[in-house]
Amino acid sequence: MAIELPAELVALLRDEQSLKLLATVDAEGTPHVVSKQSLGVDDHGKIYYLELLESSRTNRNLVRAVWFGGRISVFVRAGKASWQIKGRPVQAHVAGPVFQRAYVGIRERLGDVDLAAVWVIEPEELLDESWPTRRREEEAAHPHFIHLDRIRA
Amino acid sequence: MSLAVATRSRSSQLDEVLARHPEVPRLIAVKIDAQRRGVHYTDRAVAAVDPERHQLRGSYLFGSRDAQLTPLPESLLLRDGTTILTDPTPLEQDPYLVDFLDGRFWLTDGEERIESVELWPKPAYYDRTTSSGIPMKYVVTARPQRLNIFQSSACHFWGNGNGCKFCDINSHSKQQKAELGIPTRLRPEDVAETIAAALEEPGRFTGICLTAGTDFRGAELFDSEVDHYVELLQAVGTKFRTPRFPSQLIGTAFNERQLERLHRETGLTSYTSDLEVLSERIFQWVCPGKAEKVGYQEWKRRVVAAVGIFGRGNVGTGLVGGVELAKPNGFASEDEALAVTLEEAEDLASKGVTTVYIVWVPRPGSEFREQRNASLDYYVRLAKGLHAIRAKYRLSVDFDDYRRCGNHPDSDLARLL
Repeated sequence: MAIELPAELVALLRDEQSLKLLATVDAEGTPHVVSKQSLGVDDHGKIYYLELLESSRTNRNLVRAVWFGGRISVFVRAGKASWQIKGRPVQAHVAGPVFQRAYVGIRERLGDVDLAAVWVIEPEELLDESWPTRRREEEAAHPHFIHLDRIRA
Repeated sequence: MSLAVATRSRSSQLDEVLARHPEVPRLIAVKIDAQRRGVHYTDRAVAAVDPERHQLRGSYLFGSRDAQLTPLPESLLLRDGTTILTDPTPLEQDPYLVDFLDGRFWLTDGEERIESVELWPKPAYYDRTTSSGIPMKYVVTARPQRLNIFQSSACHFWGNGNGCKFCDINSHSKQQKAELGIPTRLRPEDVAETIAAALEEPGRFTGICLTAGTDFRGAELFDSEVDHYVELLQAVGTKFRTPRFPSQLIGTAFNERQLERLHRETGLTSYTSDLEVLSERIFQWVCPGKAEKVGYQEWKRRVVAAVGIFGRGNVGTGLVGGVELAKPNGFASEDEALAVTLEEAEDLASKGVTTVYIVWVPRPGSEFREQRNASLDYYVRLAKGLHAIRAKYRLSVDFDDYRRCGNHPDSDLARLL
């Protein structure tokens, strides 16, 4: 089930300075994680990823995921904020107006590069991975998970 | 009630086949089945077609199941980028429907929505005309990412009645010329001008394919056909700054001298020559002209020889998948047809030739118009088998893949390699 991204996360994904990682898995289930600054959010709030290399591992893994219902993960971080998005690739634009606009746009940004696909990723689960949030969640859910010296009198 | 029963039955057939072949993506099976059964555009879908944005049917080498030249959409794209090359089909032939529901196009089977689809986008040059006054859409036709140059739509095999029995090239050509004024033979200047116009659109095309009917004429068999290809390829080459450009020629089985000439004098990067069916006995029946002029073994030898000229992974042969089961002289069972086909395809792969198939459509203008194509299960197994052979021999099919062509379910699977 697709979910809506909070405005803070949309801003992070659109920020060129954010660190963005895309994790996919291959046929054997081995994760493949790469930094992908071409991850973003379009005007309709959909996550997209511009794949520049047709035969890249990421692209092959995305094809496998869209064909067999596999999931991927996107990690984005800027400053102290960090999020993980679990989702599925649901569409690959390889032709048509969306593709061609992206093709022109990426070449304006990066110069003489090619474009293989504009992947559309449907988010299914959001995790706020920032340290204060994760710590608060852990302490609330698992009060036993603490070394005693931290709370000695 | 009967419609509901029929719908369940058809839908479950797709599911049953997929259950037997879990390693085959559902989207590719949907493509195969849509090509196998054809599509019918509902009135709602036709009303939603925008001729400014959507590519309508234009000039093509072969005819369609409805034997008409109606301005319906050219074809469809699935959401994974897979192309479906299929054509309008009369309702009585039990096609899938293309409908327009909730603001988008859907491939439906009876009442069931199978997949959302997009219509092929219309290229900008389709609105332009060459200096000689021919609409460019009749000179070079488009697929979502490929340009087609059909240099001549006349096939000499039909001259003495020896055309391939599944083919309707000449009857379709006559119809196109009579109804639309589409030229049966292209001039290099028109082609070059149209290619230049097509290349003005950034990100629109990744390859060029040339094909035509066979031409016997010349000092040596097929010299005239080669002359025309050389002429067109050289004209196309003037529109690129590199000596070679991603391209495929699907031609007759040329000899080594002709192949070397094509490679030396043009920017061509790949060569395909279709054996159509991988059984000498059935080839002689289905393709009597090819059998008479070249012969199965010599055709195969020439395709293999092309590997030495164009390189491994740049040479292919195409099959009209399912025609090997045509009655009365085809294989009696799908199992036997598959075994023989894959064995021969493996022999070709071991020599550097890749084999791809298209789903056979018994067209009204062909001799086999009363026949039926094979089962979905057969086509799925054929796609799997050819893909596995390519994987085993690490044979690339970049020049004829989901994007550069889009008409071969087996090479769609190469996206995973």
